[in-house]
Amino acid sequence: MRKLYNKILPYILLLPMMILMIALVYYPIAVTFSYSFKRMKLTRPDDIEFIGLKNYIDVLRSEDFLYSLQNTVFLLIVVVILTTVFGFAVALILNREHRLSGLFLAIAILPWAMPPIVNGIIWKFIFFPGYGFVNKLLIALGIAEKPIDWISDRFLLLTVVSIVTAWRSAPFCGIVCLAGLKTIPKELYEAAAIDGCGTLSSFRYITLPLSLPFIGIGMTSASVTAVNIFDEIVALAGFSDTGKNLLIQNYLTTFSFLDFGKGSALTYVIMLLTSAIGVFYLRSLNKEITY
Amino acid sequence: MRAKEFEKRKNKGANALYIAACCLFLILTLGPFVWAFIVSVTPEYEMFTNTLKMLPGEMTWGNYVELLDMESRYSLRFTQGMLNSVKAVAITLIIGLPVAVLTAYALSAMKFKGRAFIKYGLLITMVIPVFATIIPLFRIYSTHRLLDKSFWLSLVYVSSFLPMNTWLMSNYFASIPRELYEAARVDGCGYMTCFFKVILPVSYPIIAASALIMFLSSWGQYQIPLILASSAATKPVSIVTSEFMTKDTIFYGVTAAGGLLAILPPALMALLFRKYLINGMMQGSVKG
Repeated sequence: MRKLYNKILPYILLLPMMILMIALVYYPIAVTFSYSFKRMKLTRPDDIEFIGLKNYIDVLRSEDFLYSLQNTVFLLIVVVILTTVFGFAVALILNREHRLSGLFLAIAILPWAMPPIVNGIIWKFIFFPGYGFVNKLLIALGIAEKPIDWISDRFLLLTVVSIVTAWRSAPFCGIVCLAGLKTIPKELYEAAAIDGCGTLSSFRYITLPLSLPFIGIGMTSASVTAVNIFDEIVALAGFSDTGKNLLIQNYLTTFSFLDFGKGSALTYVIMLLTSAIGVFYLRSLNKEITY
Repeated sequence: MRAKEFEKRKNKGANALYIAACCLFLILTLGPFVWAFIVSVTPEYEMFTNTLKMLPGEMTWGNYVELLDMESRYSLRFTQGMLNSVKAVAITLIIGLPVAVLTAYALSAMKFKGRAFIKYGLLITMVIPVFATIIPLFRIYSTHRLLDKSFWLSLVYVSSFLPMNTWLMSNYFASIPRELYEAARVDGCGYMTCFFKVILPVSYPIIAASALIMFLSSWGQYQIPLILASSAATKPVSIVTSEFMTKDTIFYGVTAAGGLLAILPPALMALLFRKYLINGMMQGSVKG
């Protein structure tokens, strides 16, 4: 009796999770897949028909797809670079113990706690196209003559979005790197100092290589954040065409034009494109680190 | 003697560099909040004067009064949004935490058929984009009249936060010394007694961290409620604040004030319980 109980107990414990995940994740994913082969517009609810790969072909051929894919790739690259550099810098700052280090740590996690949409709103005041903070600063310093329009130029807007997103994602990267820095044995630095290593060379030969696995975790998590940027773009530029990435394009197709078939196909194309990052992400979660 | 002098000067240089880096860090991190605050206390008539002055000529608390004074047209929507956010967070935590704890315990402490399959099946959903599930969910919710209901919205939150939190917790459970489990088993405890008597009492840090992460992530949701809960009775404060900027004639002062008020709860929680949060995040990166 007891044995049987022990055998089925794990499944009983997992039951609530399974119900939730099947109903709200696995089943919908399968349904999305079936939608992607159908002509299915909510504006014409009676006209639903199986059309094979037509949605996929339409999506891949459309200019909007190429345009938003370029934007996504741009955001991915810039956000990952900015997040990693600033995250690691924050970790180095926090790694030194002094009277204020507790306070610094508290301040460092603030951006991470921000709702992404509010993050975008707050930064909109800084990169405001009229007399916002950055424009005031640039004009006062004599770098710009008149206010710069940050929102309507494609790559200017994407750069601003990258900065804003990196600002929010750098703290997590920083904390992860800090965890890495803290695991480096102090003896290594002492030994290096005895061998005549300076600050720079011990950074180059001890700190950097031993933090690499953690920087890797930070980078993968930053890339997941980067491909999923949505709120910041909406806050800074609305659903305009200039800054749209794949997710915005997907939102517009599905919920503005109510084309569920094409939207579902686009979703699967995005999933396929991002699955490489996903594999890296899962791997980084399971990594064992040895010295 | 010379070497010492050199060492001293080098340390001084490094210190100056460190202090400069700290200042830059403080300016870049706190600056946006400070600027949003300045905008929020700037009178509307001064907002668009083309001046290079950084600070407004006079300060006004009008925008905050507007949002919190129950009479005005903004405050009704704003306070309702705050309440909706609190409600969604509460339901998410009440359902999400127990489910995550049970799942993590089963996956980390028990051996059974299909364990690896279930574990990776759960983890993989962490990288699946929201749209993969939300398109059919929208349709299912609208045919069953589940749209604009806080409870059903929160269930979607739970399903998207479960993998991350389960993973954090099961790492923690796995790092609890096996002797503790075995001692309890020798004393004749079953899995469940062992769970309540041994595991739960030592796991409060990770449960607190997980609760905090769930709180912050549900408070910050925008995409999911935009699609599943966009009516006035259910939409969270994040959507309400963003609407001040897009839908209405634009009042920047009110938007800035609203944004700052909307981040007050998550910022306070993060600051108060930062010990658990940071330990939880570190736990996540240094596998236990």
